[in-house]
Amino acid sequence: MTANRTVPAASRPTRSDQRPASWLARRVPRTRGARRAALAGWLFVLPALLMYAVFVLQPLALTIQYSLYRWNGVGPATWVGLSNYVTVLRDPDLLGTVINSFKLVLFYSVVPVTLGLLTATVIHRVAAGRFGSVTRTVLFLPQVIPLVAAGIIWGWLLSLPGLVNQILTAVGLGDTTRAWLGDFDTALPAVGLIGIWVLLGFCTVLLLAGMSKIDPALFESARIDGASWLQEFVSVTLPSLKYEIGVCLTVTVVAALAAFDIVYVSTGGGPGNSTAVPGIQIYILAFLERQVGLASALAVILMLLVIVMILPIQRLSREDRS
Amino acid sequence: MRVSRGEIVAGRALLLGTMAVTVLPFLSILTTALHPSGTLPSGLEWPTDPQWGNFVDAFKVANMGVLLGSSTFVVLAVVPVALVIATMAGFAIGLLRIPGARVLLVLFVFGLTLPFEGIITPLYFLERELGILNTRFAIVLPLIALFMPFGVFWMRAHFVNLPGDITEAARIDGASMWGLFWRIHVPLARPAIASLAVLMSVWTWNQFLLALVLVEDPAQRTMAGALGAFQGHYATDIPLLCAGTILILLPTLVLYVLFQRHIIAALLQGSVKG
Amino acid sequence: MFLAALLAGCAGAGSGGPQPGGSTAANAEAPTCGTEPVVLNATFETGFDLPFKLSEEFTRQYPNVTWDIKQDQFQNLINATPRLLSGDNPPDLIRLPTMVSLVKDGLLKNLDGYAAGFGWDKWPAAQLAQNRVATDGTRGSGSLYAMGLNYSLTGVFYNKELAAQVGMTKPPATMADFDAVLAAAKGKGILPIMVWNASSSGGGLAFPLQQLMAAYGPTQPINDWIFQKPGATIDTPSNLQAAEHLERWIKAGYFPTDANAIQYTDANARFRGGEGLFIFNGDWENANYDKDMAGKVGFLIFPPKEQGGSVAAMSSPLTYGIAANAKNAGCAAFFFNWVATNEQARKINVSVGGSNPGGPADLAIPSVASGSVTNDTLAAGAKVAESNGAMDFIANATGSIFAQGWTPELQKVVGDRQGAAGLLTAVQAEYKRELEQGS
Repeated sequence: MTANRTVPAASRPTRSDQRPASWLARRVPRTRGARRAALAGWLFVLPALLMYAVFVLQPLALTIQYSLYRWNGVGPATWVGLSNYVTVLRDPDLLGTVINSFKLVLFYSVVPVTLGLLTATVIHRVAAGRFGSVTRTVLFLPQVIPLVAAGIIWGWLLSLPGLVNQILTAVGLGDTTRAWLGDFDTALPAVGLIGIWVLLGFCTVLLLAGMSKIDPALFESARIDGASWLQEFVSVTLPSLKYEIGVCLTVTVVAALAAFDIVYVSTGGGPGNSTAVPGIQIYILAFLERQVGLASALAVILMLLVIVMILPIQRLSREDRS
Repeated sequence: MRVSRGEIVAGRALLLGTMAVTVLPFLSILTTALHPSGTLPSGLEWPTDPQWGNFVDAFKVANMGVLLGSSTFVVLAVVPVALVIATMAGFAIGLLRIPGARVLLVLFVFGLTLPFEGIITPLYFLERELGILNTRFAIVLPLIALFMPFGVFWMRAHFVNLPGDITEAARIDGASMWGLFWRIHVPLARPAIASLAVLMSVWTWNQFLLALVLVEDPAQRTMAGALGAFQGHYATDIPLLCAGTILILLPTLVLYVLFQRHIIAALLQGSVKG
Repeated sequence: MFLAALLAGCAGAGSGGPQPGGSTAANAEAPTCGTEPVVLNATFETGFDLPFKLSEEFTRQYPNVTWDIKQDQFQNLINATPRLLSGDNPPDLIRLPTMVSLVKDGLLKNLDGYAAGFGWDKWPAAQLAQNRVATDGTRGSGSLYAMGLNYSLTGVFYNKELAAQVGMTKPPATMADFDAVLAAAKGKGILPIMVWNASSSGGGLAFPLQQLMAAYGPTQPINDWIFQKPGATIDTPSNLQAAEHLERWIKAGYFPTDANAIQYTDANARFRGGEGLFIFNGDWENANYDKDMAGKVGFLIFPPKEQGGSVAAMSSPLTYGIAANAKNAGCAAFFFNWVATNEQARKINVSVGGSNPGGPADLAIPSVASGSVTNDTLAAGAKVAESNGAMDFIANATGSIFAQGWTPELQKVVGDRQGAAGLLTAVQAEYKRELEQGS
């Protein structure tokens, strides 16, 4: 390809000059040279696309296909149409896993975002320098360890002789001590607590980065107008962080709905079914009970739930962002 | 900003409290790990006779030498390949702006919200057909694929924000597409690639579900993946279990302390860029 | 690819695929491991030394045989076994958590030929009964599909020092005496019974429940239910009495308050540390108990309801099977025979495994160091055999009745969310559901 033959028509600046010049035509290439260039460009995408298609998209399609059959993984499969979905919606234990995952969303998502906002605000206001940097590093620690390690650590902390009860006794709340992960009422909140510990640092650091991009002039003008801490927060900080809050919510909601590692290692789904979440149930159905079709139906429902919850969050957080 | 002294003190106290809550669990298993093997210590108490040997015991009994090797192999197999193909794809979508770039981007980004449970079952049967089940490739291949959404998104974000003059200059000099990519843009993208490499390494090391389902032999899984088997083998002995858990999270912890700026920057920029 | 799996399943044959309906019985044969190098591909359970020690001794005696051993947790094995058996490199020897569904899918080798060739069918019939599966899928009779490396016994371990404090000088003779000891312990502030009931280890309360069931009624209906005989039910009047008795124990606070959070190994650690007068467990733990409580731990069979009544206990083989397509099936079968008949192997079995090695009735059981609790368990085992009171575990009735039935329902009773009647009806409903699904 020689330099002067490959200037595609569409690279004439048509819209804003901020966009770098395109190497190739964005629309259907008109010249043969441009078509060759497009093909070459596609070769760059091909390896990633191929891996993604074979090991992610194909299984995704297969999950949907399996969900319409009854199959035990070794023998023949029988077509059952949508009856697996009906089973999931009718069975209180299976439906219960979905409800549990919604409850986890409250812990994994709402609490870290809220506490993260609070913590980030505090860091932003009173700990700008090294103190803030150290805080950020420490708070982010739980994000880098395997989730199963978090489950084992907290499994030990929340047990009857564990640290949590030790602290409660020390502050005089000795009557409330119990095995938090073994009690029907507190098991799911306890799992939620582990999630908060893991995700708080992520949200804090993310929101802090967002805050440091807010134009200080906005804060100045709010202060000149006599705004209180809360008013400043609501009118300046919060709207500017819409995008970061959206990201935080998205990541944590997916973490809540797809929870597996922590639950598997800390409670195994018990006691009873109080911490049974879809991820665990899919694993049990597919590999222990060998009901591949039912497991796949539950998996499809889980994925639909993720989409249903993420779309509004994405929509709301993208408003008025240029 | 004028902030009152009281607010500074109160705020920092709050932060110290939050940091304490974050760190306390780590301290607790550290003290527990140092108690004599077979005992059931409570909460947080430094033992009278710290058993540093527990770490050695845990290492031996859980066969951690093998696990470290296995995990390292998986990381070395996954990360370089994933980096190269994700950068190539990001280049094509973000810089070359090939036709269909937008559709491709949406396709990849869709994968960002996919829970692994959604595909684990067919992935198992697929690998059985391909005959790679129970090998390390059982984890390596899907993981490369599963890193594509974030990887392509991340590299594309880097390429999209580059000014066009470098590309123009190279084009005028007669560079081929591959030359442009390999010799000019990859070196330029080094920070972005480095951050992505660190992130992918941490995520691979910590991968559990894939390892649990697709590899039967715990010695061939990742460190985190073998933790389940380790818990069973061990649980007679809480101090040893805690020692083992510390050993398992030590590599990523060390990696974090060394590269924390990269890791945090990577995640933030990836999330914050449009 | 899905379509290929469908077609392969329908066709039923194929070089790597299992044959549905179980392999056909072979003629009597007594193979050896030959003299050529053989590598036995085995999958064992983590945390139990016995098979490892046996494999080492086997190689010492037969140096041409070496081992490629993989190990995993019991819970993971339950999930993994079907996959391992139907994979490309099926194991020659594998620990089997459950059997029936594996037999139905044709994944296990039929051992009738070896049984005839080695003479296993001349051993006491009760040893092999639990490993037989009939063509209708019920257990207890039919072709042999697994062998036990030993035969365990489950009963009640007790802490001798705490027993002295409570005034228990000899094992309680009746259930009422046992209840009295429990009440006395509680009165003195001693935890009566240590137990594990967390989801990750499965509900240990199933052990005392089953002992109570066997005290209130005959063992045959319980075994029938476990063996999936048509029409069998666990929800019977005598079982209801047993469940109510257990519920009374729970309400009286005889078990730890955090039972639902205690895992198997934590429970043992706490018992060895002196927490709990009794623990319902099996002789596979003998070596561990002896280590920390040498001479201070005893074993008793759960007493009958009436004075002098017959005793019953859970006794089951440490079940191992051979994959239908295993490469070294003959050598694996030879190993089975060797474990039960070779003197050195039997010694290891008793000292490391703590259990009866089984085998021909005329082979003496190797002796054990005095002061070891294994003496108590072996003696107890003999008594149970006399009474013909051996039962399999109610946890083994189906592939997932333990994880999906007994464990969550027992947890609900502990959490006061369910009563004895609800426990049995819920488990029976889950049992029926699983049988219908063919698991």
